[in-house]
Amino acid sequence: MKPLPNYLQTQRKRLSLSQEEVGFLLGITGMHKGDKVCRDEKFTRAPSLQDALAYQVIYGRPVRELFAGFYQQAEQDVAARAKLMNFRKVRKPDLRKQQALIHLAQKASVNPSNQ
Amino acid sequence: MIKNKNVRILAVAPLSRGLGYAVMEGLDGLVAHGNKVIIRDKNVRALAWVEKFIHFYQPDVLVLPDVNAPDTRRAPRIKTLHRKIVALAKKSQLKVRLISVTQVRAQLLGSVKGTKQALAEALAAKFPVELASRLPPKRRPWMSEDPRMDIFDAMGLAVVFWPKGK
Repeated sequence: MKPLPNYLQTQRKRLSLSQEEVGFLLGITGMHKGDKVCRDEKFTRAPSLQDALAYQVIYGRPVRELFAGFYQQAEQDVAARAKLMNFRKVRKPDLRKQQALIHLAQKASVNPSNQ
Repeated sequence: MIKNKNVRILAVAPLSRGLGYAVMEGLDGLVAHGNKVIIRDKNVRALAWVEKFIHFYQPDVLVLPDVNAPDTRRAPRIKTLHRKIVALAKKSQLKVRLISVTQVRAQLLGSVKGTKQALAEALAAKFPVELASRLPPKRRPWMSEDPRMDIFDAMGLAVVFWPKGK
């Protein structure tokens, strides 16, 4: 199962907050505070880092859990790049660096949520 | 029976007023729930909503009530809608699981007999944070059924989908 890009709506409903209220907590000003929150929840807008951290504070859940789909995508992308980097030939091989890259490359295949 | 807990399911309960829906990831992972009251062109609009839910939540399995079970009576319109939803699921390459009302009652109430209110209360006790506030007051003989009851019909299907005790 591929996780949804985010679980913001689930968490908001758990706390029985409205989109307007969450918009206010995020520091959005103006008439339609809930519009940005709505777009985040409908996956039509990727929130900024500041907004993502604010969501973590509001809902009390880590960002990787709130944005599970984005996190998984980032994890897979990094793992693919780490694999590529590991195959590159370097003049002075660094054992620690190599171990870190192997660990990163394996991460995507080990994580059960990616299956 | 699907034993893998890593699946997302969409349970839809088509009813006379509209439909109730619930999305779950595992037995305790309630992602979304709600009901849609549809006034006109009920089948067309209900089907459009189901299509929207499938597109948005990308479920692996669609859970529907078994409208052709011997213990179930449904209006011809609901049966037609049910057939259309099954066809839509097949078009979207989704697995379809049919669950009868008796199965829901047997698993949630421990008996094949029981009221919808008792079923809703059992579900509200299971998911107090999400559902307790949506629990309608007990229906009196002169009252119509509360539209919020659709949510509990869909939730019942979604909960019973998962193997018991897992």
